[in-house]
Amino acid sequence: MDVADKLEILADAAKYDVACTSSGVDRAGKKGRLGAASSAGCCHSFTADGRCVTLLKVLMTNVCVFDCAYCSSRASNEGVVRTCFKPRELADLTIGFYRRNYIEGLFLSSGVMRNPDFTSELMIQTLEILRGEYGFRGYIHAKAVPGTSPELIARLGHLADRMSVNLELPSSESLALLAPQKSKRAILAPMRQISESIAEDAESRALTRRRTTVYMANSRPRTTARAFVPAGQSTQMIIGASPESDYQILSLSAALYRSLSLKRVFFSAYLPVNADARLPSTDAIQLNREHRLYQADWLMRFYGFEVGEVIDEAHPFLATDVDPKANWALNNLDLFPVEVNTAPFETLLRVPGIGVRGAKLIVRARRQSTLREAELRRLGVAYKRARYFITCNGAYAGSGVEFSREALHAALAAPIEGGRHGRRVDKALPGQMSLFDSVSTPEKERALGRGRAAQERRALAGVNTGAGTAAGAGAGADPGAGAGAVAEPGRADAARGAGAQERRLIAGSRRAKPTVEALF
Amino acid sequence: MPAQPEVYDEVAYVYDGTLEGLLSAIFAAYANREDPSDVMREGVMQPRLSQRVSRIETDVAHADRVRRGLCRACGHQAFSAVKKAALSAREDAGTAAYRFVRYAMDSQKKRDCARCRKRATCSGAQGRGPCPKQRGRALSDVTHPAVEPLFRIARAVDQECEHMRQFIRFEHLTSDEADVWFARCNPRDSVIPLVMGHFVERFSVQPFIIYDENHHLAGVFDGSTWYLVRTDDPATSLLELPGHAADEAAMQQAWKRFYRTVAVESRYNPELRRHFMPKRFWRNLTEMQEDSQALVVKTRS
Repeated sequence: MDVADKLEILADAAKYDVACTSSGVDRAGKKGRLGAASSAGCCHSFTADGRCVTLLKVLMTNVCVFDCAYCSSRASNEGVVRTCFKPRELADLTIGFYRRNYIEGLFLSSGVMRNPDFTSELMIQTLEILRGEYGFRGYIHAKAVPGTSPELIARLGHLADRMSVNLELPSSESLALLAPQKSKRAILAPMRQISESIAEDAESRALTRRRTTVYMANSRPRTTARAFVPAGQSTQMIIGASPESDYQILSLSAALYRSLSLKRVFFSAYLPVNADARLPSTDAIQLNREHRLYQADWLMRFYGFEVGEVIDEAHPFLATDVDPKANWALNNLDLFPVEVNTAPFETLLRVPGIGVRGAKLIVRARRQSTLREAELRRLGVAYKRARYFITCNGAYAGSGVEFSREALHAALAAPIEGGRHGRRVDKALPGQMSLFDSVSTPEKERALGRGRAAQERRALAGVNTGAGTAAGAGAGADPGAGAGAVAEPGRADAARGAGAQERRLIAGSRRAKPTVEALF
Repeated sequence: MPAQPEVYDEVAYVYDGTLEGLLSAIFAAYANREDPSDVMREGVMQPRLSQRVSRIETDVAHADRVRRGLCRACGHQAFSAVKKAALSAREDAGTAAYRFVRYAMDSQKKRDCARCRKRATCSGAQGRGPCPKQRGRALSDVTHPAVEPLFRIARAVDQECEHMRQFIRFEHLTSDEADVWFARCNPRDSVIPLVMGHFVERFSVQPFIIYDENHHLAGVFDGSTWYLVRTDDPATSLLELPGHAADEAAMQQAWKRFYRTVAVESRYNPELRRHFMPKRFWRNLTEMQEDSQALVVKTRS
């Protein structure tokens, strides 16, 4: 078997790992050394599914002693050809690809050969050839295999730019069911170790860089040690293989960002590759759910949203017909419309149709000219969506649609260009008959049931959450919910405002934020 | 000094397509006290009805004066935007740059320096020159009709630069006396000068050539410095290329197999791929060189 055959087998096994970013570290080139890295990353190609290829994403080996239900390389799959890269082969291949500008660097994951430590040793050998012998300054992402000893993770971390430990599933119960060899401890311990080492490394670096103490030399050390995981840590979980709700998933990822200072949490829609009784027996891939989760994730990372604002326990699934930001705006109409010429940057970020780039441009442009419709359109703001939530120089721009939750919801959920725009699978219009949307799976029901019970309890306790419910009752389960909400008679604005305020109070009272250990 | 132009006298300036030419044209507009309605590259100019066409000779000294004046009054970012406009393929890029410079220089208002903390040391104090505090203002007035076209053009050129950083593919060529990495590309705008720095930084160990088929321009890195070579007659200049290195075919094959393997069939979405990787780049992408049958994922049965 030659290297190209191995590459095909091991890339095929690694392709279900969605994390493929080369971002987070800026490393200038050096004369006589190969490679550099830029913090924005660079996508070098795009596959037929539209995902980017930025790193050479391969497994070290697809030999695996673990038997995880969802994985194509699991021990009990007998038809799989098993192989393993020699460290030298993989390093040569990486350099060959890099010099042709095919890739930004290497993404090295692995199955577990013999034991986690042996596998990690192989990975370390590869990275040492790359970093040491070839003096490679490009990007390297290394996976930490659960159960690896801390010393090996420390060595790996000094060679790689980014490390990740996969949570695999959004709760430890599902993990115990589907990946019996992986334990909560074996996953969270290396994550915590990496997170603490990054903080420690950054701190000691700051000490040597600045003259913060009188007794330390003013000059920087002659030979600088390689930084520990300078591009930070990420993780990934599979969506749809287990019954967790969006609420659980997003709460967990918020806790990960907060307490382990992760750079990214990746969501991967479950793809059936194995037949197994423990797995859901559906062929429908929850691509739209994955998409909505990423939108919510972006709101938390770049738009200053708290997880409690994006999703709440009473509505554990994100709305399918409108995006999470629009949904939040519809539930908080008392905060709108905002005046684009005076609103602060943080408020502009919360307007549907205005993104980070648009908000920055607005702030920049309005110093010198008054912004009206034409100016906003020129700035590249999605005016069609934003107009319901803004005033331009005092004039409300969204006239023609009643300023009520139901009417605005209908306007925002309408398909773009009558459904002719965008991805082909979305071309079915809402209201048209669809075979799969109405299928309700047991996990949806269970999660929904919990949500309903919570709602009833709250209603009994006399707390009114009714007015601003997130996009109809059963957002995740029932596509008809959106239509139902439209048909509902509108309520008085005052009641809605009160409801929104109340919700904000409730969110505020939950100040004590749960830890990752409690959520996972 | 030419005679005062008539009221309905329309004039268009034609320059040679270089940055220096564009800056010379801008200089000429001020020197001749004219307001050209079009500033265009040679070859794309189509005079309007009753429009006078005036050909502006490139003068490096004039261009340098415009550059210095623009940097002083509007900052280096404004100059960089004008530079990108000169490299852009759009026909109205020259006009947009000229309009912007006119607007930016005109909008330099006299400021009252009485209460300014820096009035003692400022180069522009008491109306002696442009106020440094207003330097970035012209370009950030993005919605102004004189600024917006240039802003868009500069952004489009930036985008094309990013495409080049993404989609340039090197081939290793060797012969007895030469050892070089060669890449062909077909950018819409002539962005080779803007991206050479990026490639020199990361591939400083390998001499390379990036050849722009559309503009017949080659960026050459010889191992220590890089320079641009104009090859307006492609027939003579590219005959000397050495053959592929021994492992080149194997590497290309491995890359193509890798590329095909990592696509997940059940997420097949060619529209998204075309969105990120426009088809016009495909002919110079190694992984898209295969016959079209192999690229199409077998019908989703």
